[in-house]
Amino acid sequence: MSEYMQTYQVKRVLTHNEGLKSFRFDRVIEAAPGQFVLVWLPGADEKPFALSGVFDHEIEITVKAVGPFTKQFMNVKAGDWVGLRGPFGNGFQPIEGMVLVGGGIGNAPLRYLAQCLREEKLLFRWVIGVKTAEDLAFRDELASMPEVTIVSEDSSIGKKGRAVDVLAAMNDHEPIIVLAASGPEPMLLAVHGFANTFSPDIPVQLSFERYMKCAVGICGQCCLDGTGLRVCVEGPVLSGHQLQGVTEWGRPHRGPSGRRPTQKQAVHHD
Amino acid sequence: MINRLHVDLAGIELASPLVLASGVMGLSASSLERVAELGAGAVTAKSCGLEERKGHPCPAILPFGFGLLNAVGLANPGVDEMVAELRAFRLLSDVPVIASIFGKTVEEFPEVAARIAEARPAMIEVNVSCPNVAGEFGQPFSSDPALVGEITRLVRARVSDIPISIKLSLQCLSLAQIAKACADNGADAITAINSVGPGMIIDPNVRRPVLANRMGGLSGPAILPLAVRAVWEIAAAVSLPIIGTGGVETAEDVVQMVLAGATAVGVGTAVYTRGLEVFSTINSDLHVFMQERGITSLSDLKGAAHV
Ligand SMILES: Cc1cc2nc3c(=O)[nH]c(=O)nc-3n(C[C@H](O)[C@H](O)[C@H](O)COP(=O)(O)OP(=O)(O)OC[C@H]3O[C@@H](n4cnc5c(N)ncnc54)[C@H](O)[C@@H]3O)c2cc1C
Ligand SMILES: Cc1cc2nc3c(=O)[nH]c(=O)nc-3n(C[C@H](O)[C@H](O)[C@H](O)COP(=O)(O)O)c2cc1C
Ligand code: FES
Repeated sequence: MSEYMQTYQVKRVLTHNEGLKSFRFDRVIEAAPGQFVLVWLPGADEKPFALSGVFDHEIEITVKAVGPFTKQFMNVKAGDWVGLRGPFGNGFQPIEGMVLVGGGIGNAPLRYLAQCLREEKLLFRWVIGVKTAEDLAFRDELASMPEVTIVSEDSSIGKKGRAVDVLAAMNDHEPIIVLAASGPEPMLLAVHGFANTFSPDIPVQLSFERYMKCAVGICGQCCLDGTGLRVCVEGPVLSGHQLQGVTEWGRPHRGPSGRRPTQKQAVHHD
Repeated sequence: MINRLHVDLAGIELASPLVLASGVMGLSASSLERVAELGAGAVTAKSCGLEERKGHPCPAILPFGFGLLNAVGLANPGVDEMVAELRAFRLLSDVPVIASIFGKTVEEFPEVAARIAEARPAMIEVNVSCPNVAGEFGQPFSSDPALVGEITRLVRARVSDIPISIKLSLQCLSLAQIAKACADNGADAITAINSVGPGMIIDPNVRRPVLANRMGGLSGPAILPLAVRAVWEIAAAVSLPIIGTGGVETAEDVVQMVLAGATAVGVGTAVYTRGLEVFSTINSDLHVFMQERGITSLSDLKGAAHV
């Protein structure tokens, strides 16, 4: 695979629930966890998705239905042709003693990161936060992993709470060496805030999302205000150092026109 | 120490002939500043129109072996938002910033120009040549010398104190005629060329064009010889300074453009093919090229290939 368009047949579809599915393609690629691909549904659109797994002969993405494209993607069946380009961007670096923190669909790239950590025989822990049990993909697989702690906001699975809430106790139990997080931006910023309460800080690797059109660093759509860093090239995984100087945290993201909606116009998804 | 790379573009002092081309890293003050810091002599913002446009769906920007096809469809946040970004840029950087504007109709051009002038850009580039909205806007204005002349005259009348450059495309019968229309109606410079074509890529499995807009403009190394020829023809026809743009990736490419008649040189797609370091790399390679040959100013090379 490369940045040039190539189409592949979907090999199989794993249905977690009607609005949350994983898609596997016959394809071998070299990709770091946290890197993403552009997925083209002919006749519809092309959007970025993280790899949720890379296997001997297959790659996998996991899609949550949130809007027009992702809802249409739920109809994709084995045998359908889909365009894939990538992998793009900078991913996570697996490190011994890492704690993974995922919110909702943000856990997709962490699944691949966990796979890499296991293959490299590095010890890690993984906190998965979901709104409700329905939002959890790969439930059986996760149930068999001793590294995993699941929490939900409505206590339908695991303890009640948010992923960030359990970090302090985890650190007391055994110090966190580095934090890797993926999920809604408020969660990422909370993880960063938690890491900064220590001296020295706990290093962080945080995976961000911005509207993307090219993924090759040219259209400027995904640039962060304050530093001009491109989430598609220098990101999506950024270090605490790369977060410094960015002035747009907590503000609505620029949309497809490049305009940043006012707080009121912004539609929130997570 | 003398700066061999210094050029004077229609009265604007540039520390390097390299100008970030419109549509590349040009939506925000921060992205423009990042490119300015990496060594661009001037930076051009993304073309903006009166109203916000989301542009075409994706794929809209498609790499192939020799550059890019793009059909972004003039996505832009609207002129008022762009004024705010350009003002923010000017607080951050002393590097000259070029605003870029388009209109859906001839009458819209002076309107957008007057609004963007509030940000006091160093130059206003008038994009009469976007190839990717033909379905919506009809043929690019730049294929018709009368229309190009009229747009130039109207913009000039509304904006008298900021230099204007007209951005042309290859899609016309005679570049010389179009360039004369610009010169006769008060343009200060010409930017040439916009992306070329349009072209198309079809996926063999899906059996349909890959770009959502089906076709899109070619840019990058594939079009360098076309751009060099265009600059040559324009330089032969008028004495206006030219921002030679299209496929430039190396110092040698810059020299080609200048020998054809360019004063400054646009760099767009090379940000993808060579990375953002392309600006500093070309600057240092160009310096060495000139030093080794005892060339102290690019103006000594300007148009020198016309023999
Ligand atoms: C690096 C990266 C990795 C991602 N990984 C995954 C993943 O593994 N699984 C998953 O389900 N989703 C992932 N997403 C999000 C996914 O791209 C969006 O959910 C999808 O684009 C929404 O499109 P839509 O038409 O369904 O919804 P819309 O209603 O159009 O948008 C819903 C949300 O998605 C955002 N979005 C829409 N289009 C884009 C775009 N072109 N680029 C970036 N964001 C966009 C919108 O800003 C909005 O916040 C990732 C996004 C990025 C940037
Ligand atoms: C993604 C992309 C977007 C562009 N958007 C604009 C634009 O908004 N206005 C414009 O005048 N030219 C635009 N162009 C054209 C470039 O400014 C330039 O003229 C052309 O790409 C040729 O130069 P290059 O080969 O160095 O890219 C765009 C080009 C690309 C690749
Ligand atoms: S998506 Fe185009 S620069 Fe990042």
